[in-house]
Amino acid sequence: MSAGVIDIGYLELFGATAFMLVAAVVAGALRLRQTKAIVVSTVRCFLQLLAMGLLLVYLFKYQSWWLVCLVLVGMSLAATQIALGRVKGKALNIWPEVFGTIFLSSMIVAFIVVEAIVHASPWYDARVLVPISGMVLGSTLSATAVAIDRLFSGMDVRSDEIAAYLALGATPREAAFPSIRSAIGSGLTPALATMSAAGIVQIPGMMSGQVLAGADPMIAAKYQIVVLLMISAATTLAIVAICLTTYRKRFTSDACFLSPALRDE
Amino acid sequence: MAFFEARGLAVSYRRNGVPFEPFSDVGFELFAGQIADLVGPSGSGKSSLLCACARLLPKTSGTLVLKGADSTSFSPEEWRRRVCYVPQKPTVVAGTVRDNLLLPWSLRVRRNDEAPDDAALRSLIADAALDDVDLDRDAAQLSGGELARVALLRAFATRPDVLLLDEVDAALDDATARSVSRLTRRLVRGDTACLRIRHRPPDGAADRTLRLERGRIAQIDHAEAGV
Repeated sequence: MSAGVIDIGYLELFGATAFMLVAAVVAGALRLRQTKAIVVSTVRCFLQLLAMGLLLVYLFKYQSWWLVCLVLVGMSLAATQIALGRVKGKALNIWPEVFGTIFLSSMIVAFIVVEAIVHASPWYDARVLVPISGMVLGSTLSATAVAIDRLFSGMDVRSDEIAAYLALGATPREAAFPSIRSAIGSGLTPALATMSAAGIVQIPGMMSGQVLAGADPMIAAKYQIVVLLMISAATTLAIVAICLTTYRKRFTSDACFLSPALRDE
Repeated sequence: MAFFEARGLAVSYRRNGVPFEPFSDVGFELFAGQIADLVGPSGSGKSSLLCACARLLPKTSGTLVLKGADSTSFSPEEWRRRVCYVPQKPTVVAGTVRDNLLLPWSLRVRRNDEAPDDAALRSLIADAALDDVDLDRDAAQLSGGELARVALLRAFATRPDVLLLDEVDAALDDATARSVSRLTRRLVRGDTACLRIRHRPPDGAADRTLRLERGRIAQIDHAEAGV
């Protein structure tokens, strides 16, 4: 079955902007002072996605391994900035850890999928590698941000317990471990919930896109299953890595706990 | 020779965003088999001093010496195993009373130590007038006074060289506070020293009293020692 791609005209595309009037009317009626945010978000959505489309057109035409890798690094940098933006106010200096976690966990899983499951040829085929990496990066950045937030909030809530553990001779990792375990559990929940709801409550994005683009629904379903499984693996890797590489930020080099009262925030 | 010694101790940290230096040159000695009470006005830095002695608060200068060995020759975990701080606010972890009493033996620093058996734990809780508390009882169901004693017994059970007790009897009634004092006295024998912060009238358990005031420490006699 191949119905072909139904293109959207630019007139219809810009006409779809009217959908944002719903948000604008609600914001105006409730005086949410979010008119600027609505306009900026809409313009960013247009510009970023059209720019990505143009970039992919260029990449598909002139693809080379270094250009594809450069794009993936650029996407990982952007994902890092967005993840850090979601955990503002934590007084953390964790840029290298977040970038390393998001980049490595996403790329390891994306390359396994591209090489071992999709069998893309060449391995850097931008038509396969970039969209798959993009989907994994989107999920790992969300999971990483949630895990960081839960980890450090949890450690603050457990300040007295952490101090008690340390006083008994616990290492920082032993003292922080209940918070690490809780943060990992919280970070895994969204990916597992999405997998459980897939196909019943919602048709996930990739499958929808492929069906709309005229692909056989069974092929789209198989791709979607692989994508959900790889997202689960990548987010698990990311959550575990970010928790284990950052919890020490709340301890001094002499293993003293920096409780909220002692921090310079 | 002093069993435990602090020399020229200073700590400085930000407290709620404001620079705070409770003391800058504090020195004192503890002797084996003795209990010393630490008194002083509220905010004079008594708890900070105890935390600094346990290396739970980074010191900016000064030295800590245990049985002739400088604190820098121990890892923080090894030091805290020997110099045990018990906070005023009792903290228990999720689980039974037994889980809480055995918590120190679940840590890497004591991986080679043998944990006390149930008979030893029962003897310990009986000593603290907790006879009616079963080892299998959920720690979350304990009253405030029982929690305080379980947290205290957990530290006692580890037999540290130095016990630093930060108003551990604050939440206890007079009778229970007296039983804790007796328990402390029994534990502090020839191979242990104890420094206690107390806001209760002298209970006769302390061998001497130290006063921390305006960043200085001084030994005072028992007649002066009070609330």
